[in-house]
Amino acid sequence: MFEQLVSFAKALEQQTGLAQFWWGNVVMIAVGIAMIYLAVKKGYEPLLLVGIGFSCIISNVPGSDLILPGGLFNYAYQGVALLIIPPLIFFGVGAMTDFGPMIANPKLVILGAAAHLGIFVALIGAKALGFTLNEAGAIGIIGGADGPMAIFVTMKLAPHLLPQVSVAAYSYMALMPLIQPPVMRLLTTRQERLIVMKQSRKVSRLERIAFPIVIGVLVNLFFPPVAPLITMLMLGNLFREVLVTDRLAKTAANDVMNVIIIILTVAIGSTMAADKFLTIKTIEIVVLGLVAFLFGTASGVVGAKVMNLFLKDKINPLLGSAGIASVPIAARVSHIVALQENKENYLIYHAMGPNLAGVFGTAISGGIMLALLGVK
Amino acid sequence: MIVPDTLDGAILLSVIDFTLSIVMISGIGVILALFPLLNRLGKVDEEAIRQGHH
Repeated sequence: MFEQLVSFAKALEQQTGLAQFWWGNVVMIAVGIAMIYLAVKKGYEPLLLVGIGFSCIISNVPGSDLILPGGLFNYAYQGVALLIIPPLIFFGVGAMTDFGPMIANPKLVILGAAAHLGIFVALIGAKALGFTLNEAGAIGIIGGADGPMAIFVTMKLAPHLLPQVSVAAYSYMALMPLIQPPVMRLLTTRQERLIVMKQSRKVSRLERIAFPIVIGVLVNLFFPPVAPLITMLMLGNLFREVLVTDRLAKTAANDVMNVIIIILTVAIGSTMAADKFLTIKTIEIVVLGLVAFLFGTASGVVGAKVMNLFLKDKINPLLGSAGIASVPIAARVSHIVALQENKENYLIYHAMGPNLAGVFGTAISGGIMLALLGVK
Repeated sequence: MIVPDTLDGAILLSVIDFTLSIVMISGIGVILALFPLLNRLGKVDEEAIRQGHH
């Protein structure tokens, strides 16, 4: 009777996931719990970290069918793998973004490219560490600080690195208020941080309507590999600016965006299975991502200082670090660092210009990278 | 792959990509600098659009 019970229990154990449970699963479940903790307790990117953390936990419970082909999490992942989800995120972002600051001050647009040196430092670093060039490109794009773009480029270049790249990109984006200010202060004098920007001109409705159409045409003409993302960004923005499709703009910015965020977070978390995630490569990618953010911030600030050599009306070099694409976090960091020096120096509107240009800077860098690597 | 999968290739890719990115985004800046000219074409009456008289 006892032997029968033991064999019954053993058979039952084999049927469940208990037999496949290993320490890696415990570590990754702890990582998932840490993400939820950071979201709830510290307020770090809760819209992203709660979903990623939960699906990370579930994906590390052996026996769960959710991440296997036919499972619900796997279907969410297919949305990312088929490159449907990232453009839809951009659609929502476009519907909630005012591109006025970028249109009003075109000379600041160049900071959107200057702040992307980090992409290439990380790319070269990754290659030196033994990654393939495609993998290095995917790792480098973390430095663009643009989640959907990082996912998009990674899925084209090195889909097996999606969990590491997306987790690194979103984690550092959440940590930008901690990462950027020391670099910004190190590279600027107090006098420079005190520079007050001139008020920008008013942008007319006609310009606002023309902007998404012109950019949509240009991007499809020159950067077809990344056109789906920017095209959807511009469609969302057109819905916002024409004033006759308020209902669609609101749906894109709220309902569509929320649904897509849920699907995206579940998809990313579901790729964080311990056997794929707990590798030396992950640590290397996380370190390279940090290097990319540091160099991107530095190159943006230095870029703004170089611009000042040629400009009659000097710009506040703190705007340079806003050229990193993470909207609006990088712009907010520039604003806060300036406020710490002068409580009446409101940089936020000016910083949004390079910040939005950073989205295009990352897209252009990604598009050129895909073209040079022969990936369509 | 147009660029060789080597460290030299990575450096080459980076230099070309960064340079072209600066050129391209400057081009966007130039186009945006021309945007005020659009206002010579006319003005969009926002109030009329909002009230549905367009």
